[in-house]
Parts: sequence; C-alpha cells; structure tokens
Amino acid sequence: MKLNERSVAHYATCDSPPDKTGFLFKKGERNTAYHRRWFVLKGNMLFYFEERDSREPIGVIVLEGCTVELCESAEEFAFAVKFDCAKARVYKMASDSQVAMESWVKALSRASFDYMRLVVKELERQLEEIQEAAGGSCVGAAVGGMQGRPKLSRRNQVARSRSGASSSSSSSSSLSSSSSAPPMLVPFSAQKSSQDEVQLVSGCSKENGVAWSKPPVALANGFVEGGSSCVAWEGCADPGSSTVIGYGAEGVRAPPVPPRRKGASLESPVCPGTVCFSKLHDWYGKEVEDLRMQWLQSQ
Amino acid sequence: MISIPCVSASVMRFNEKELVFLSRQPSEMAAELGMRGPKKGDVVKRRLVKLVVNFLFYFRTDEEEPIGALLLEQCKVERENSQSFSIAFLDEAERKYLFECDSEEQCGEWIDCIVKASYEFMRKNLIFYRTEIHRLTGKDPLEQYGISDETRFQISNGLQLTPGDTSSL
Repeated sequence: MKLNERSVAHYATCDSPPDKTGFLFKKGERNTAYHRRWFVLKGNMLFYFEERDSREPIGVIVLEGCTVELCESAEEFAFAVKFDCAKARVYKMASDSQVAMESWVKALSRASFDYMRLVVKELERQLEEIQEAAGGSCVGAAVGGMQGRPKLSRRNQVARSRSGASSSSSSSSSLSSSSSAPPMLVPFSAQKSSQDEVQLVSGCSKENGVAWSKPPVALANGFVEGGSSCVAWEGCADPGSSTVIGYGAEGVRAPPVPPRRKGASLESPVCPGTVCFSKLHDWYGKEVEDLRMQWLQSQ
Repeated sequence: MISIPCVSASVMRFNEKELVFLSRQPSEMAAELGMRGPKKGDVVKRRLVKLVVNFLFYFRTDEEEPIGALLLEQCKVERENSQSFSIAFLDEAERKYLFECDSEEQCGEWIDCIVKASYEFMRKNLIFYRTEIHRLTGKDPLEQYGISDETRFQISNGLQLTPGDTSSL
C-alpha cells in the first residue's frame, strides 16, 4: 500500500511542536537487538530517527488503535505497543528510567485521533452549555475580528478568516462554510503573521498570573500562505507562563452521552464511538494505573 | 513493515498492516469519486475514497485492500471547480491530488470533512475551547479530568514539561 511518505516525513520534521521527544531503545524486527533511536511523537504518529539530529525519520509507527503495555523483557523499563489486528507486529521499546517509561506509556496511550476528538467534543459541549446558560451574552468578546458574531450554538456559519489568509487562489476558499458542517467551530483570532492582513488582537490576557493566549487562526490544516506551517504556535507562545491553574476539584460531572457513530462498537476504549467521555477517560487513566501496579508488583 | 533496499533516497518505514486494518474501521466519509494523482500524466480514475481519522484511503472500487493512503496533516484543501477539490501537501504544493465529486454539495461536504480531519486542526479547536471556557468561567475545563498537564493540550509551547519528565528536548 502506498503512503504519501515524503509529506509524512515532512510532518515529522516541520516546526509544529511535537507532543513528546526522547531516546528510546527499540527492538528490531529482523535484527532482534535493541537499537537506540530518537523518537518524536506528533499527534497519532510516532516517528523514529537514527540520531537526534537526523534530517529524516527512518520510520513511523501509526498509533491509531494501539494499546500500550508493560512487557516481560530482559530489558528494564520495557513496554510494548500492540495492535488489535491479525499478525500485527508488536513494537517493543525500552526506556532508561521508570519515570521516562511511565511518561512515554501515558503519552502513547493517549495519542490517538479518537481520544483527541473526544476531548474536543466534550469541551465543545461544555462551552455550549456555558453559552446557553449565559444567554449568549458574553460570546464574541475574545474572538477577535468578527463583529456581531452570533451564539456559538448557531452553526450555520463556520467562521471564515476575514483576512483571506487562506492560501488558495482568490476564487476558491479552502475553508468550507457548509451549513451542514458537523458541529466543529473553527476558532479564529488575529495573530502575528507575515501575511498581515489578519487583524492583530492585543497580546495575551493575563488572569491569575497565567497568560491565556488568544486562540490561533485555524486554516486548512494550519496552512498559511508563504509562512510557517504552524499558525497555531506563532505569536501565541508565552514561554514563561504556566498553563495550568490549580483549582479546587469540584467533582467530576459525567457528560451527556454523545450521538453514537455508525458502525462503532460500544465499549472499546480504542474504538470510535465510545459513548461516554468520562468512561473513556477513566479507561485511559486505568490503563496507566494498571501499568504502574504491574511494575510495582514486578519489583 | 516495508523496508526496501535502495541506493538513492531512503524509504521511510511504516506499519502497513496496521494501516490497512485502520482502513477498515468506521469512516467519517466514504464515496466513489474520480481521483487523479499528482504526477504529470496521471489520469482520473474511479476510486472508493474513505476518510478514517486523519487518513484518506483510496481503493479500487471492487477491492478490499486500499491502493494507498494520504496522511492529512500539513495539507491544503482547495475547491478546484464546482464539483472538484484538490489536496496538496505543504512540502510539495504544486503536486495536487484531484478529486471529482458527483455534485457541488458533495464536494463541499468532502472539503469540510478533510479540513477538519487533521490532528493539528483538532488541537487548535481544543485550545480554543479550553481558553474560551477558562475566560468565561475562570476554570480550566481539563482540570477535572486530570489531563491539564498533557503536552498535546497546552496553550502555548507544545513542549510544556512537567518536572521529572526526562524525555525532553
């Protein structure tokens, strides 16, 4: 089967920030020795390089649908990435410390597109609730550049970047404005860009000592004409800030059940359509907990 | 895994079996479309095109195993005319994959779905919602799920590291 490998390799090395990087030992397929490789996790793709400064990855492991487990191995701090398909290869890896192993296991087990999608849907739902509770009155203030924007719950118009910074030719638009769009609001805001037609919203607002940057413009897959491929990260970074505020726990609310996807099975944590976000999240958390217990018991 | 001994450009390995398995999972969108590859001389052929997570698989219409897959990250989707759209990747923007639909509406739906089918796109949405909810409520919505610290959800630099994380740049 073909894959657009050059572009996939480009994704590995482009300046979108990775979710995790580090050295791991990977067991070879034919040569069963462990080789030290530099790993870069982006989204649901785990790339590996011969060296940290290699320009191109040797390979990639598509992580969608995988599970991550501790494995029995002569190697310390070993774990395995497994798939549910027939004759799937088991990717055995080893880290060089307990902490690093746990960190990788956690990162890899939550790397799927489906997990991200669930979290996004959950936040989208929460935001709608807040909007509706507030009577829609406070919408739009943070969303720069679009005046008179109706409530987020009205989905007829997907936000279109006013700047026209979408890179397509003038007669075509690379953002869809279909009214039948699935409920995914396209966030937009101004942001510093060499394209500059985008309005600039003043800086970052600070609350409780935390800088919450204005949301970035989302264009077709983050593409900005002529500029960096990472709209999201330019101009929004505030390296000195912590992005987590400690709040008193309020107790977890179970979210309402989202519509079930056609053909999806109900209960698998790695299958699309797991209906309850809270439950799914518990599964992921439990996986990590189980691994921790296993490791402790094996000591 | 594919590993082709080669003298010139190196081929990047990928877990093909697992990707083929993924192509059989429930999809966001699937339809028979005309598809033309990016190379000069490529012609339009009828293909079953299927969108699963951030991959676009394409099959010969009567076959179970896909001919190929396109990872939909760092790409640009454009309407070419009323019924066709193209996908091009940022590293080779002149090479376009062309898709011909049966109607303007169908074309619009595909463009919409593909734009939203990237992990990076979802990440931006998430950051937007997180920021907005915080702005409106003063609370971090990820806190209650204990995932506020995850790198992939960070507002600013994607490499937000917690103490003790040794696998860092």
